[in-house]
Amino acid sequence: MVSEKNHNVSRRQFLTYTLTGVGGFMAAGMILPMARFAIDPVLKAGAAGDMNAVAEVADLTEEPQRFDFSYEQQDAWYTSEVTETAWIYQEGDDIVALSPTCTHLGCTVNWDANEDHPNQFFCPCHGGRFEKDGTNIEGTPPTEPLHKYQVEVQDGTVYLGKAEPQI
Amino acid sequence: MKWTTEDIPFFINEREYIDTALIPLLPIDFGNGIRQSAAMSEFITVITAELERQFKGRVLLVPPFTYLDSENITVCRDNLEQWTNKMKEEMKHVILITADPSWKKVEADIEDLLVWMPLVPLENMESEYKRQVVSEQIKQLIPLIMDKWKSSP
Ligand code: FES
Repeated sequence: MVSEKNHNVSRRQFLTYTLTGVGGFMAAGMILPMARFAIDPVLKAGAAGDMNAVAEVADLTEEPQRFDFSYEQQDAWYTSEVTETAWIYQEGDDIVALSPTCTHLGCTVNWDANEDHPNQFFCPCHGGRFEKDGTNIEGTPPTEPLHKYQVEVQDGTVYLGKAEPQI
Repeated sequence: MKWTTEDIPFFINEREYIDTALIPLLPIDFGNGIRQSAAMSEFITVITAELERQFKGRVLLVPPFTYLDSENITVCRDNLEQWTNKMKEEMKHVILITADPSWKKVEADIEDLLVWMPLVPLENMESEYKRQVVSEQIKQLIPLIMDKWKSSP
């Protein structure tokens, strides 16, 4: 008998917990959209001004050079500082900024880093190689060119936006 | 690759390419050494995160191997070996990285690449300077890792 009673109690407890649980979820569901509304404009403002000052035009050469830059990124519940790298060079009046992320599995590539393959981007992980303009070299693991940053120049400063696929 | 639900699927699908486990070794001290313990953890976390960024396509950064600072280092080594043996069933290389000098005592008994880094206290450092310091350290680490790959590809 006693055990039966205990059983009942625990069952009621269980129900209570469950209902509270569901209620909790519902409350969360209702609060979430409101929080979204409150935060959204801020996020959007961030997105519009998403260009980062990375280099001075005067420092650029025809040889790709490495520039690091960092910015704050908002994640679900905290802000973190993200560091990115770009390989930037000048070609006539054009400024080209390539992402160093190997399109195979994401290692960081380096310019002119392998003696056997001068004037190419080289990936230390599985020997992926790319031409100066980012084109992947056939016979190496990567299957698409290095991604290219959006470039904007203002008052002699190079601003970079998102890196986008070249194809 | 990171130990996250976002990266692990890549590891599962590309095992032949992602053949190196990177394990941070972190001592835990709740007594007088707690500051030091935190500083090591902070420093090694930054370094390993940066290494992961450099070598994402070949290195899997696993959760840190933690142990009590007061524990005998030989015992720690034996425990660690259980980790590394298990991992080597799946991966070709294991790289251990720590700022804890105790590991030097058992270095000869460890067959994997053990990288010991002198602790650089990153606290109170301005972020630009911090970045420079870290990237200097990374520059020295990269050839070590690439040599390891070259010696047994
Ligand atoms: S990640 Fe660059 S070649 Fe594999």
